[in-house]
Amino acid sequence: MSRVRNASVDAEGVRARSRREAVLDVFFDGRRIVSFWLHRDGVRDGRGWLFAWPKTLHEFLDGTTEVRVVVTATGQEVFRGEVTFGSGRGRVEVVNRRGQPISLDKYLRRVVAFDTRSRDELVPMLDAIDEVIAALHKVGIEAFLAYGTLLGAVRGGKVIGNDSDADLGYVSHETHPVDAIRESFRIQRELVALGYRITRYSALAFKVDVEEADGTIRGLDVFGGFLMDGHLYLMGEIGDPFEESWIYPLGTTTLEGRTFPAPADTDRLLTAMYGPSWRVPDPAFHFAPPAYTVRRLNGWFRGLRVGRAKWDRVYSRKQPPLPAEPSALVAWAAEREPDTATYVDLGCGRGSDVLAMAGRGVSSVGLDFQPRSYAEAEARAVPGAEFWRCNFLELRDVLPAGAELARRPGPRLLVARHVVDTLGPDARQHLWRLARMALSGQGGGRLYLEFLARFGDDGYAKELHVKRRRPRMLVAELERAGATIVHRETIRVSDSPKSSKVARVVVEWRREDG
Amino acid sequence: MAEKSGLVERMRSTRAGEALDLRRRVRRLEAEVQECRALNIRLAELTDIVTELLLPVAARDEEKLAELLEKYRQSV
Repeated sequence: MSRVRNASVDAEGVRARSRREAVLDVFFDGRRIVSFWLHRDGVRDGRGWLFAWPKTLHEFLDGTTEVRVVVTATGQEVFRGEVTFGSGRGRVEVVNRRGQPISLDKYLRRVVAFDTRSRDELVPMLDAIDEVIAALHKVGIEAFLAYGTLLGAVRGGKVIGNDSDADLGYVSHETHPVDAIRESFRIQRELVALGYRITRYSALAFKVDVEEADGTIRGLDVFGGFLMDGHLYLMGEIGDPFEESWIYPLGTTTLEGRTFPAPADTDRLLTAMYGPSWRVPDPAFHFAPPAYTVRRLNGWFRGLRVGRAKWDRVYSRKQPPLPAEPSALVAWAAEREPDTATYVDLGCGRGSDVLAMAGRGVSSVGLDFQPRSYAEAEARAVPGAEFWRCNFLELRDVLPAGAELARRPGPRLLVARHVVDTLGPDARQHLWRLARMALSGQGGGRLYLEFLARFGDDGYAKELHVKRRRPRMLVAELERAGATIVHRETIRVSDSPKSSKVARVVVEWRREDG
Repeated sequence: MAEKSGLVERMRSTRAGEALDLRRRVRRLEAEVQECRALNIRLAELTDIVTELLLPVAARDEEKLAELLEKYRQSV
């Protein structure tokens, strides 16, 4: 039993001493806000440890609140007292923009946890679980409650207070990663046909959006798995020796008074998920699969969302008004290519160039992996402007887009403005392939690239969220992909003596280029 | 050069050199294994595209192909 002593709380964080690791819950005015492991998440502070308030909590720390610190396992209170933060005015309120009470999850992200929800408020989520399990059943998949949702059900028939979403899992009858992935693609296609919106996390896991009665969209995570060589591999954390009979035939479990499918041997699966001590609550639990499991799951199934988090953050912020004029690059390119019949914006971002070109009467298509980026432009419904979701890391997006664009009228003007300076080598290879396919259609066309070639002191790279690319390296890469360089120049972006510079490169694929 | 490679060989023959050399080889092998694993996604993607789109191409059914291409793009 760990003994936690000398606990204190101030504007910096929670300090405590304990020879052994301990899990602690922090309450503000009676509501749990965050849980942490003292040694793992803290730093050495004299003879004890300091758990500094996480960044995600900082903006709320203004005012006064009664802080309680409790040892999760025993319920022992090790600190209670009024603590003042910042100006000290009013009570500390940890709420989101809609005024809902929030707390931090095990990764210190802000969530609306179940412990702030009434039983009635849980009903729509339970309905959504039912709905997605039924939809998966329709497409031949036997899904069951997984991870935190299964843990809560088996441990006490209830959702876990500090949890905030519902997880489902299934174990494929396929026994090779390629076949399990193909099946996951099929499931996605069939769920889309049933009217669901799917967001793919990896080649074996995705999110299904369910619309609740009041119009709220709830995303349920579906983690795929398969058995190979006596091991269960289940996204996103498991690679353990396992038998099929521990999964199938599925049994049932009860969650908040309702019955849901569960794996045949819940103890075995929960042990694989949370270790043998899964029965002991640990709100700060972190998955720590062995390196060989992580390597396998990464190698087989991941890599389709590289760099995505940054753009998700960018587009979740309030955006300035859409520019009415085309970018300098597109204005210049359009002048050089007056016969353009189809304009294609590869990585169109907010889509203002697509609207500008469509406004000039050129049939225009904008491609971006993040539909939120071009939502505003798309909503304007400008005739001749189309937007396609296209992830350059997924061949299922890239090849059909290339084929479709090749069928559009030529000549085509393809523009990739500040795209290659955010993409890694794999995505760039796909981009070259897409461009080459699109331009192979009747009437041909050219690809115009603009990217950061030199860092300056004008903040240009930061503003555009781009990295520098060496023009010589990119030109060599394009030539290896069969392109001919028809124009190349470097341009200063400001009058500053140490201005950033962008490179403009124009390429085409000639028939004889092979 | 010959002298340098001789030195490398002598270094390798020591126990510490051998351990270093093995560590480097394991690192490379791990990277190569990951490269091979990444082919699983590529192969599945290509197979999916081919099986979903190739049949109408082979049948030279232009209308069906246009429709399928559109439907495929919407479903991924």
